[in-house]
Amino acid sequence: MAIKDPTSDGYIELKFGPRWKYIACARSFIQNFLAISINDQAKADKIAMAASELLENAVKYANGEETQISVKVSPSTEKIAVRVSNLASEESIKTLKLIYDKVCEGNPLDAYVAQMKEAALRNDGKSQLGLARIRYETGGDLNLEIIDKRVSVLIDIG
Amino acid sequence: MNKLGIEAIDEGRIKIEVLDSSAGIYIKFTGEIDMEDPSLILDPLFEKIHNGAIDNSIKEVAADFKELTFLNSSGIKAVAKWIMKLSDMDDASRYIITVIHNKSVTWQVTSLPTLSFLVPGAVQLQ
Repeated sequence: MAIKDPTSDGYIELKFGPRWKYIACARSFIQNFLAISINDQAKADKIAMAASELLENAVKYANGEETQISVKVSPSTEKIAVRVSNLASEESIKTLKLIYDKVCEGNPLDAYVAQMKEAALRNDGKSQLGLARIRYETGGDLNLEIIDKRVSVLIDIG
Repeated sequence: MNKLGIEAIDEGRIKIEVLDSSAGIYIKFTGEIDMEDPSLILDPLFEKIHNGAIDNSIKEVAADFKELTFLNSSGIKAVAKWIMKLSDMDDASRYIITVIHNKSVTWQVTSLPTLSFLVPGAVQLQ
């Protein structure tokens, strides 16, 4: 039997029937996965937060049941890649693109504070803060991929 | 019961106590704020605290997040909304919000200090 090289990349992938009550569960699961995969506890916490925020968005705005999350770890470099993917309506995709473009512009802290101020004025129950929070708090690279109606948000954290 | 007559909140995984302190009012958060719309709980609470602090000339409200294990971005929005209430008040009539955080909890170290950038001079971090 072949034994896997412990320095090769490891990953988990979850298919998520988007329900709010599963988010805390998924967050804990990801945190536990990272606790045994990397030595940096703070980084593990930040990624669990980011995954949780992306799953919240998926539950709020996804169309259908096919939400997927994957977390990939490169043990030698401790680089981590998170991908959350779901189907969304054209309107949700348009809104997400607008937020993404705004949040990824300029300094992450300035973008986050600006987004917080804007959120504080909203009365529609939405915060639209998640991406700005992730970009600032993880220090990672955020990418948005849209193929037809499937939206994927990717975070690479070094 | 505190001097503002605000009752504690104990719903699901979140408990919020409002207590009197020598400096004014002390709010203690325990548990997790990760519900879909935390503003349903937090907005009315912060509204009562804000109005009570002004009516009673309270000069400091401490918000203790040390025992809060998670706060989602919708919860951050509610806290930001509360802080922003101080933006159009003059220095003499407004109170200071002291944000008490746990330096060993990652999200508290990364999230909570950013609140001090919302309204200059309105929030102090402890």
